[in-house]
Amino acid sequence: MKFLILVFENIARNPVRTILTSLGTMMLVLVVTLVFTVLTTLDKVTTEKSANIKAIVTEKWQNPSLMPYSYAAGLSDGAADPNDPNAIHPQDSMTWGFFVGSTESNPAKRGYENLFFSFIMEAEKARTMLDNIDSLPDEQARPLIEAIKKMKEFRNGVIVGEGRLNKLKKRIGDRITVYGRNYRDVNLELEIVGTFPKETAQYTDSAVINRDFFETELDTYKAAHNNKPHPLADKTLSLVWLRVPDRISFNKMTEQILTAPSFSNPAVKCETSSTGISSFLDAYRDIIWGVRWLLAPACMAVLALVISNAISISVRERRTEFAVLKVLGFLPWQILTLVLSEALLIGTLSGLLSAALAYGVINGVWGGLPFPIAFFPKFAVPINCLWWGAAMGAVTAFAGSFIPAWSARGVRVSDVFAKVA
Amino acid sequence: MFSISGPILFAAAPWQVFGGSSPILQGIFAATGFLLLVLLFIGKVPLSYNLMNLKTRWVTTLFMVGSFMLVIGVQIGLLAFVNGMYSMTESSGQPGNVMIMSEGSTDEAFSNLGFADATEIETQEGVERDEAGLPMVSRETYLGISQQLTDRKTGLSKRRFLQVRGVDGPAMSAKVHGLKLDTGGDWFSDSGVREINAAGDTAIEAMLGAAIARELGNDRSDEDLAKAKRTDRLDVGDTFQIGDRVWYVTGVFESSGTVYDSEIWTRQSQVGPLFGKSTYTTFCVRAKPGFRKDQRTALIAERKKSAEEAYQEGVKLKQADKTAPTPKRQSVRTEYTEQEWGAELLQHFFATEYKQAAVSPQVEQAYFANLSATNVQFLGMAILVALIMSLGGLFGIMNTMFAAISQRTKDIGVLRLLGFKRWQILVSFLLESIVLSLIGGAIGCALGSLCDGFTANSIVTGGPGGGGKFVVLRLTVDASTIAVGMLLALFMGFFGGLIPSLNAMRLSALKALR
Repeated sequence: MKFLILVFENIARNPVRTILTSLGTMMLVLVVTLVFTVLTTLDKVTTEKSANIKAIVTEKWQNPSLMPYSYAAGLSDGAADPNDPNAIHPQDSMTWGFFVGSTESNPAKRGYENLFFSFIMEAEKARTMLDNIDSLPDEQARPLIEAIKKMKEFRNGVIVGEGRLNKLKKRIGDRITVYGRNYRDVNLELEIVGTFPKETAQYTDSAVINRDFFETELDTYKAAHNNKPHPLADKTLSLVWLRVPDRISFNKMTEQILTAPSFSNPAVKCETSSTGISSFLDAYRDIIWGVRWLLAPACMAVLALVISNAISISVRERRTEFAVLKVLGFLPWQILTLVLSEALLIGTLSGLLSAALAYGVINGVWGGLPFPIAFFPKFAVPINCLWWGAAMGAVTAFAGSFIPAWSARGVRVSDVFAKVA
Repeated sequence: MFSISGPILFAAAPWQVFGGSSPILQGIFAATGFLLLVLLFIGKVPLSYNLMNLKTRWVTTLFMVGSFMLVIGVQIGLLAFVNGMYSMTESSGQPGNVMIMSEGSTDEAFSNLGFADATEIETQEGVERDEAGLPMVSRETYLGISQQLTDRKTGLSKRRFLQVRGVDGPAMSAKVHGLKLDTGGDWFSDSGVREINAAGDTAIEAMLGAAIARELGNDRSDEDLAKAKRTDRLDVGDTFQIGDRVWYVTGVFESSGTVYDSEIWTRQSQVGPLFGKSTYTTFCVRAKPGFRKDQRTALIAERKKSAEEAYQEGVKLKQADKTAPTPKRQSVRTEYTEQEWGAELLQHFFATEYKQAAVSPQVEQAYFANLSATNVQFLGMAILVALIMSLGGLFGIMNTMFAAISQRTKDIGVLRLLGFKRWQILVSFLLESIVLSLIGGAIGCALGSLCDGFTANSIVTGGPGGGGKFVVLRLTVDASTIAVGMLLALFMGFFGGLIPSLNAMRLSALKALR
């Protein structure tokens, strides 16, 4: 205990140095926390599961996938042959199209602030099939459940993420007109009926509109254009999500889909969601590699240098003090431990504080780290960052302070007092 | 791929920065240079004293320089990546070209144009003709393709996104896009297929962009590489596989630094049916430079009027609703080269007067400039990381300088007794910090500039719902990147040294010597 008090007293002796070392540590731990937030989320979504698998069916060759909506019914049932009793039927399914537009009528003034990005889907599937929402307890998903009920009442209802609502300066109950960007000249009159649960930051910039409503709007477009359908009218189905219990079922269902003649023009492919996402992320592999193996280690190295420098200076200044401690009976290893403990305490606490602030501010204020890579608009800082932050601070503090601490251990009483004399 | 151009660029940086970089950077560098000169020559600072201290405390000096070096080195790498993305999107597109897509399409991927449309468009007056009198129009079917392949390291199956462009006349299309085949290459044949062995197996003929030739070349097994003509990329005569078909390389384009470096070109009639897209997606048209020369002033006036109307509308909206975005006057470009004028007027003609088909025309350079949403995201992230790392570095430097001053309190007292003024003490310590930051920054820049010329995969997009292209880009370290790196170093050195130096300045001689 006395030893610990001594460590605290030593740290408190030079508050400017302690604060500056601490601030430097916090800044660099913050960068690594941000990097790890992105990397761990990507690692998580690309890890293959053995049970409760989600499969994605998309167009085989072309990207972006644009399949006819006539595929939806068959694919939603896993292309199961109705006459085959052994056919695999998915436990649940969801179809996705994408409608992107702007709430600004003047094309010249359209930008990120008035952007509207939505999934065209069956509203009730937002609860049972959307990643992370499907695993939420009913209590947390309650606002969404209510919103889905309203979407069944109002066909033009829309669920909008909180981040997007704030950017559009709209509230639940407001009506908006969205001017189509990918579906040019398709403008939707929508009524905001709800938002996504707070716990699912990845949907904060997204929206959900009713599939039926959208198909009706395409019919309206056709009627208004001399019976000429919209150029993308037969390409409104981008993805079909299917849930199966295990890998055996997934393999069997994939075979059903790939061999079904009704899905050959255009041909489709079926893969697990993790495979699909990792294939998409492959385009970013060099960036991810650079961030993982260059940026993060460089930050750690700078951090170690900053701490090492601070501790080295401190040790040089305190040579007389260490000599006195030795005279008082402190053993070399106790001096070593004293210096290491000071560095570890500053490093660990600063790392923990930095990570805690990142967790609170980024998740609480921004609703996640806004780095729209691939189809992830925001990355929620995981709670695990608290121990990463502390561990990073501790490891770099240890690495940076070991040599100065070793040098402190070797201080010779006779040398120091000879100089003093 | 190591390139010597990095260090050369680094060495040439000061001249390039003052010669061709942005006026802001020039101003900042000129001001910094002036400040240093003033500090050095007018301040009469005890430089020999500073140098002696740096030598004596060489470990601390080394650590400080090392911190600067690492922080700046990482920043240069990040900026080189973003710079590469910007270079690619900004340099893509010929000045006189107009891309014509179907009405309602914002990107090639969503466009559908009929065969009959091509003939109509080619006969328009504003379309340039080549020496043989042929219309300079490239008929194209653009496809984003998923290529199934096996990872050489893990043995697992994976997919890669590729851009395949089916064209009718390879020579004309290359001419319109300003692309040239590398030595030994040839256009694909009229049929677009060829036999590749005695058994009569056929392969689809293709021409590859320089970057995608390198990327696909990495898929080869060690055995294939041992037999290959070139190990760094696929070359004429090599084959690769997409789907069930083998593809034969008839030529590789010279590197153009554009998104076309990442594309595979093949005959439209082969690739369209193969991937279920039988229609054209794009007609890329070269405009006559003098087309409707007399209407240039009217076009600018019309654009100015439209911009003013949009602004007034925004003002009204703001007056009615205080929460509405503050309107900004859009600037209307008025200066163009002859080729660009041709493209602007031809685009205007197709957008407003052409009635034979419903089309959506875009000036090619503007189309690629719009594919910069990803660039903005990455630039934002690079700036954020740079700022946080710089702050971390700054606190470290400040710490070291505070310690350096506390160790040299007596020295300061002696200097004051020798007649050095307070502000000269300030300058002395500040210069020490700045010089260390500049040395560390310079080494960091040199280190970071080694990444110049490396290639990296990425995607450029125009934001959600817009087009996206998988690209292999070249990391680019140029004078501006170096300048930004040095500015960051300077920022850390100046602000890191300022507060400790002010502390040193405030010490009285008596107090310091006590």
